[in-house]
Amino acid sequence: MSTNAVSLNSRKTWLLSLDSWAVVAALLAALLIRAGVFTRVPW
Amino acid sequence: MADAIALPQARPAQPALQLLRVVPGVLLLAAVGYAGKLLERNVGTYAKAHHWTFPNIEYVLWAILIGLAISNTVGVPQIFRSGVATYEFWLKAGIVLLGSRFLLGDVLKLGGVSLALVAIEIAVAIAFMTLLGRAFGLRPKLTSLLAVGSAVCGVSAIIATQGAIEADDEDSSFAIAAILALGALSLFTFPLIGHALHLSDHAYGLWAGLAVDNTAEATAAGALYSDAAGKLAVLAKTTRNAMIGFVVLAYAIYWASRGQAKTVGNKAAFLWQKFPKFVLGFLLISILATYHFFTKEQTTALANLSRWAFLLTFAGVGLRTNFREMRKQGLRPFAVGAIGEVVIAVFTLALVAGAGKLFGF
Repeated sequence: MSTNAVSLNSRKTWLLSLDSWAVVAALLAALLIRAGVFTRVPW
Repeated sequence: MADAIALPQARPAQPALQLLRVVPGVLLLAAVGYAGKLLERNVGTYAKAHHWTFPNIEYVLWAILIGLAISNTVGVPQIFRSGVATYEFWLKAGIVLLGSRFLLGDVLKLGGVSLALVAIEIAVAIAFMTLLGRAFGLRPKLTSLLAVGSAVCGVSAIIATQGAIEADDEDSSFAIAAILALGALSLFTFPLIGHALHLSDHAYGLWAGLAVDNTAEATAAGALYSDAAGKLAVLAKTTRNAMIGFVVLAYAIYWASRGQAKTVGNKAAFLWQKFPKFVLGFLLISILATYHFFTKEQTTALANLSRWAFLLTFAGVGLRTNFREMRKQGLRPFAVGAIGEVVIAVFTLALVAGAGKLFGF
């Protein structure tokens, strides 16, 4: 299985780890909701 | 990326190109997840209208079942694989956003109880898996990988440890396959056992977070029981994930002392590198929610966004589980993993029951 090679390549290309990008994306979404850009997220 | 599907060797490509490459798979995750949601809503109504007796199946299980059906029949076509592998990104983003549903006091209180239980679970699981691996004559580094996978956090821990102890790719594949197969089984067995034992949401969530190895499966196993159990499972599992750096460091030092891995230079940097950053994101959002940075409506919006992220994760759990691929990895690592998991599940259940009596849940 080539799992390690993939994650290493991905990390080089994407600058940050998957973990860190997930945090950045979630915080950005939280800020957009806080700023009122999205007022409601339906479920 | 943690995956049972053999991912193609990605050549370094432009970020924009890589982003385009994940689009079909992400759309597939969304379609499978949404189909699960539609089925939850409509199947029950249809069965009731036709006077059928049909259990109420939640969207979590529908999404996993549809994913499993696709993966184990027609398979996941190449074009979707990169995108399907992003399920772990959605899982971690979902956990960070879930922080909005925890007040800091709850995190500290529940996290404190979880931390004590996690420390006991890790020590017992590592000791037991090591003995079991030796008894079954597994290669020592494969035993280490299985022990870390069952004690801490499944596939991420195995991948982190593989690099640190310089284990073979083959050992890592065996350990990952065993952990994923057992994780898939736990999705169906844990809720059944929980209901049979009439466990409270609190006790079940804590148990699922302590005993189910992979974060995605632990989150799903919790959500399959109830919303409250899902929250608790994520908290207990996140506490377990936070320990990954310490366990991997201990293994790296052990194997380096035997001359079979590189010596760890800067231990603090090593710990930071291995520390799951989404735990910090989860805490940050929880702190912001505690100090009313978000209004009530905004907190609801964040919680719903977290649900959507988990929906994609659950679809991914089904889509990446291919039993044929897992069978190819051989029986012995699976047998060691299975025996270990059963013992750890029983032990953690007793641990949670004891803690429940002590703390009243």
